[in-house]
Order: sequence, then C-alpha cells, then structure tokens
Amino acid sequence: MKTGIATLILGLVAIAVFPAAAQVRVVGHSDGKAGIDWSGFSAGSDRAGRTFFETLRSDLVKSGWFKSAARGQGIYRITGRVQGQGGKVVVDCRIYPRGEDKARFSKRYSDEEANARRLAHRVADDIVYALKNYQGIASTRIALVGTASGKKELYLCDYDGGGLRQLTRDGSVSVSPAWGPKGETLYYTSYLQNFPDILEIDLVSGKRRVISRKPGLNTGAAVSPDGRSLALILSKDGNPELYTMSLRSGRLTRLTRSGRGTEASPCWSPDGDSIVYVSDTSGRPQLYTISRSGGRPRRLQLRGSENVAPDWGPNGWIAYSSRFAGRYQVFIVDPKTLDIRQISSGPADYEDPSWAPDGRHLVCSRTQRYISRLCVLDIMGDPEVSFDLGRGDWYSPVWSPAP
Amino acid sequence: MNKIKYFLVLSLCLAVAASFTGCKKTPKDDLVVGPGGVAGGVGSDPYSIGLGEERGLMSPYAESPFTPVYFGYDSSHVRPQDQSAIEEVADYLRSHPNQGVIVEGHCDERGSREYNMALGERRALAVRAYLIGLGLEPSRIQTKSMGEESPVALGHDENSWRQNRRAEFILFE
Repeated sequence: MKTGIATLILGLVAIAVFPAAAQVRVVGHSDGKAGIDWSGFSAGSDRAGRTFFETLRSDLVKSGWFKSAARGQGIYRITGRVQGQGGKVVVDCRIYPRGEDKARFSKRYSDEEANARRLAHRVADDIVYALKNYQGIASTRIALVGTASGKKELYLCDYDGGGLRQLTRDGSVSVSPAWGPKGETLYYTSYLQNFPDILEIDLVSGKRRVISRKPGLNTGAAVSPDGRSLALILSKDGNPELYTMSLRSGRLTRLTRSGRGTEASPCWSPDGDSIVYVSDTSGRPQLYTISRSGGRPRRLQLRGSENVAPDWGPNGWIAYSSRFAGRYQVFIVDPKTLDIRQISSGPADYEDPSWAPDGRHLVCSRTQRYISRLCVLDIMGDPEVSFDLGRGDWYSPVWSPAP
Repeated sequence: MNKIKYFLVLSLCLAVAASFTGCKKTPKDDLVVGPGGVAGGVGSDPYSIGLGEERGLMSPYAESPFTPVYFGYDSSHVRPQDQSAIEEVADYLRSHPNQGVIVEGHCDERGSREYNMALGERRALAVRAYLIGLGLEPSRIQTKSMGEESPVALGHDENSWRQNRRAEFILFE
C-alpha cells in the first residue's frame, strides 16, 4: 500500500515535470483498459478499407490503453466509416464517451490506398492522444541488427514488427544502431572500412557519411536530445573512454579518464545535461552518470552482479539489463530516488532495452537457447510480446522517436 | 659556407618544430605518430600510449601466420603462457621493418555486446602494450576490436568460448 502511494506521488510528480504529453505513471499493474464499442463503425469490403480497419483496431489494443468491447458495452463508442474511393481511402471517425452525445474525437482523413496501413497508424496515435493525452507509438519504428542474410546488417521495422526492411547491405558487420532525435538519421558502428567506425545514415536521402574513424575503437554512438552532440566510446588515447563530439565541428571532449577501466554504452538524459554509461572500474560492469561537461561520475547503486545497456527514457527512468541468478533481466530505475522495478521475468536473457516514446513500452532482445528475438515489454504489466521476424538472430533494437 | 650552415640550422629547427607539432606523415607512411593520453613516451605506462589521431592507410594481409593469444573470462590480462606467442610477433616485426601489425581483439558471446566491443579492444591494447614493452614502436601496432561479433567457434559452452576469447595478429604494410 505504501509503495503504491509512493508510486502514485512519484508518478504525479513525473507528470508535473513533463507537461507536454502526459508521461506514464510507473505503476506495478495495468490500469483497467478502456473498452471501445466498434459496432457503429463500418469498414466496407474493399481491401484498403479492411486493411485500415484491422490496423486501427490492432494499434489501439497495442497502445495498451484500450480493448475491444461488445455492442452496447465499453467506455467509448466509435462511429463512422472507412471506404475506398477512386484510389484513395477516406475515413470519417467520431468517438463518444458512453452516454454522451458530444464527440470527444471527430476527424476526417484521406490518403492514397497504398498508404492505408500508415494512415491507420496516424489515426490511432491521434485517438490515443485525444482520449488519454499520451504519446501514441503506432507510427514509430524500430531499428535493429539481423543476421538473416548471413552477415550482420541493419534493418528497420514498424513498432509492431511489420514492414521489415533491410537498411544496409555492406556484407561486413553493422551493429549498435542509434536514432537521431528527429527520427531521420541513424548512427551505427560499421566495419565497412575494415575497422569499427561510426557512420551516419540519412534515412531520407539514403546517404551515408563517416562520423568518427579514429585509430582503435569508435562505437557506442548516442545523439544528444538537441541533435548537436554525439556521445561515443573511443580508444585512441590508449583505453576505451567516453567522449562527446560536436556533430557540426567534430571537436572532441573527453569525459572519463579511467586508466585500466573500460567504458561503454553511453546514453543521454532527456534534458541533455547528463549521460549514463557502463564502466567496470569497480571490477564488474555497472552504471554511472556524469555531467555532459565531465567531472566526477556517480555510480548508480543497483542490484545484480552486472548492470549494462542503459537507456534513459522520456519519463526520466533508466532502463537497463541486469545479471542475477544466471540470467539478464530488464529493470528500470529512477536515478533521483534509486527506486528499482523489475520489468521482464521470463526464462530467457532480456538485453538491450530501448524506451518507446510513450514512456510505457520497451523493446529489447530476448534470447532463449541462443536464439535472439525482439520482445516488447510493458512497465504497466501487460504480457510481453515477441516478434517473429523470420530466420536468424534479431537484436540491439532501438525505438525511434515520435514522428 | 655560411649559406650551408644557415640551411642546416634552419632544417634542424624545422625538424624540431615538426616533432613538437606531431604533424601528419606523408601518405607513404602508415600511421601518425602521436603519443596521447598521460605523459606519452615509451618509458611510461604503455597503456597510456595513444593510437594517434588519424588512422592511416593500411594494406592488411588476408592470412595470419601467428598463433592467437587467449584470455580468461572477462579478462584482458596477458597470461604467462601467451608471452612467447607475442615474442614471436615481435621477432618478426624486428626483421621486417616495413610491416606493422593489427592486433584484433575478440570476446565470447556472454555479456553485453557493447561492453564486449570495449573488452575486445582492451585485449588488443594489452597485447599492444606488451609489444611496446618489448621495444617495438607504438606506430607499428594498431588495434581493432570485433567484440563478440566474429567468433571462430560456434558452440555454446566453455570449449567454444575459450577459443573465442582471443587476440589475433594481422600483418600490414
């Protein structure tokens, strides 16, 4: 009971601190899902219309906030229609709280038939925002590494695992993807030139450029929220250390001097003032935070013999992978209070968590019997969902920012 | 005579100045000499000897004729039983002054991938430090980490993991 109240207060404080879209309260169980009565919405029989309808229903369920309700039941009723008209798909959608005749949501949409699925994602995000005041994730994407081609290459897929497409065809090793803050660029570690370099892909133009190719190691690219700086790991000065680099000028600032210690996996705080990273200066890999201008690192006191792969979410919590009882599980920690929650619990290794922009879902890799798949976790307690992307291993997922 | 003296003094000054600025070598040379980190120079802790600021052009050989160096779990410590393998590389390099070596560090599949990138690099740096301690020039030894991304043994047991925790030697000129 006490932890429940503490959580509620924590959550309300979190909401107060992040006023844009309301941030998710970090609670241990799922709130009741709002039922939606679809009986007043007609989908027609054309293919684009049905694709739209099924995608929209699926997106609203996957947001975590809604479930489908029977006719006459549920908190909301949705009316309107989708139909194909001259190569376009046209949507008219209104949502009423049960018992009210003033629509909480009312909008018309139109797009090319071929874009029916993408349109449904947009509508779903609009509905989530209108009804729940939360950031929707249906239009977001996940970048990841896959071995299906026989080599390690970068791929993109939709937030639900659909629309998988191969991004690199380098035939070497492409790993450690990271998004730019506008979702238009990806940074990654590439062995295209035979050494681990950091490259940038412009997803709009398809162009690539070399960001860092110092002697030794260039890896761990993480872009600051303002898009101006890159945190990265370089070994050019004799040891893998944490640096930041201006993306405009290339100027480097060294943040750590850990002698024989090893640094890895930097990630920026949502306000861009701090960086969380992994260091083994204490003997085993643990998480530390440091100011972006350097100074004394602060170790996060966590459980587990090894704590790695941090991702600092929009809600201010840091997700990470922790080794205990012989397995890796995903945890989240509030760095201000050191409140810790375990999120995954299956009989597998859960690694490399990445926050969705809704601050509620996390994607990670789930490895069982040495086969790795993407897995979506919910901090509010919905069961985990694994993606079947086909043969091979799929890992190092990173969730795109909101479009 | 004065002109020659003047020219010699000028050349000496330029050479001294150039050595202080750590200027880029001509494209024919492999790598920039640039001791970075703490108080550079071979006499100090070899771990602090930087790799330079520019990765020069290298033509690596495809095959490695040298025995790899192996490591304990989560360790980048060069073990006594691996020292002779490194000495063999040092001997070769002393008699082939136009060649250098890339030390390629690897890990087994356990642990986080990003951390293993750094651990692989630390293994490569440890072997490099040992070679520098044997008197080889830092500029002739580069490092490359493959993390856990390039195993030689694909099993999921200590027999395979032991083979993957290694540093390999790749010659270049």
